[in-house]
Amino acid sequence: MRALRRRDDHAWSQEHLSHYVEGDLSWRARRRLELHAEECPDCSSGIRAVRALLRLMHATADRSGAAPASIFDRVRADAARGETDVDQARET
Amino acid sequence: MTRSLTTRRPVQTAERDLVRCAQAGEVAAFEQLAGEHADRLYAVVVRLVADRTEAEDVVQESLLRAWRGIGRFQGHSMFYTWLYRIAVNESNRALERRLRHGVATPIDEESVQIPAPARDGPASQAEQEELRHGLDTAIASLAPPYRTALVLRDIEGLSTREAAKIAGVGEAAFKSRLHQARLKVRAALGDAALIAASI
Repeated sequence: MRALRRRDDHAWSQEHLSHYVEGDLSWRARRRLELHAEECPDCSSGIRAVRALLRLMHATADRSGAAPASIFDRVRADAARGETDVDQARET
Repeated sequence: MTRSLTTRRPVQTAERDLVRCAQAGEVAAFEQLAGEHADRLYAVVVRLVADRTEAEDVVQESLLRAWRGIGRFQGHSMFYTWLYRIAVNESNRALERRLRHGVATPIDEESVQIPAPARDGPASQAEQEELRHGLDTAIASLAPPYRTALVLRDIEGLSTREAAKIAGVGEAAFKSRLHQARLKVRAALGDAALIAASI
């Protein structure tokens, strides 16, 4: 495993923490990040921070917010115009 | 964390009937069809444009475009995917107009709501409030493609496949945008604040 370790592991790990949490890394890349994070407090707390960010964003979803009643106003107006046009065409 | 939309099958029978009626010009059918997604559609647009008044305008315009274009909907995807894509495009147009006119992105105080645990004390609530504002600002400062990725996937909880389809890009490109967006938001908020808020 030591062969996987590189000098640029820290910068690389910091950029791939989200990929790691998401499960988007290959086995080899995942091990590279895990080995680095075992020795790096910044990267191990970075993993926790990404997970916390995802929880935070999920918790902000505005599930109860209702759309305003007016959202179909333009559709209704457009439909009414269409009907008027049809009526006028029939009359002429 | 993905929501129940992922379990739907493409164009169910009831939806197909409503689509057919809407395509025949029945506005009530269109309202029923689009109305089922209206609350979530509005929530997504509020996130994208970070302003409730503008979001209302964008949703109205999106629904008008969908109504006028319903004849072109062929049912190869879910109706909501098609509708969301129109709304995302319309939101991006609104953001571009705002940029052209040099208007700073407004931060709607109500656009991000973090439910505070009931037993929070004043200090914790203040921290939550600060983080809430920080998250709002960080999301609003993202370029539209990155903001769209974050909102659809991480806030709305759509699957990567659904969100990529709505954003109009391939899954790999979408994931790349998502990871970049998370990196920027994380950098803006700081790891310490995020971890402290999650405890």
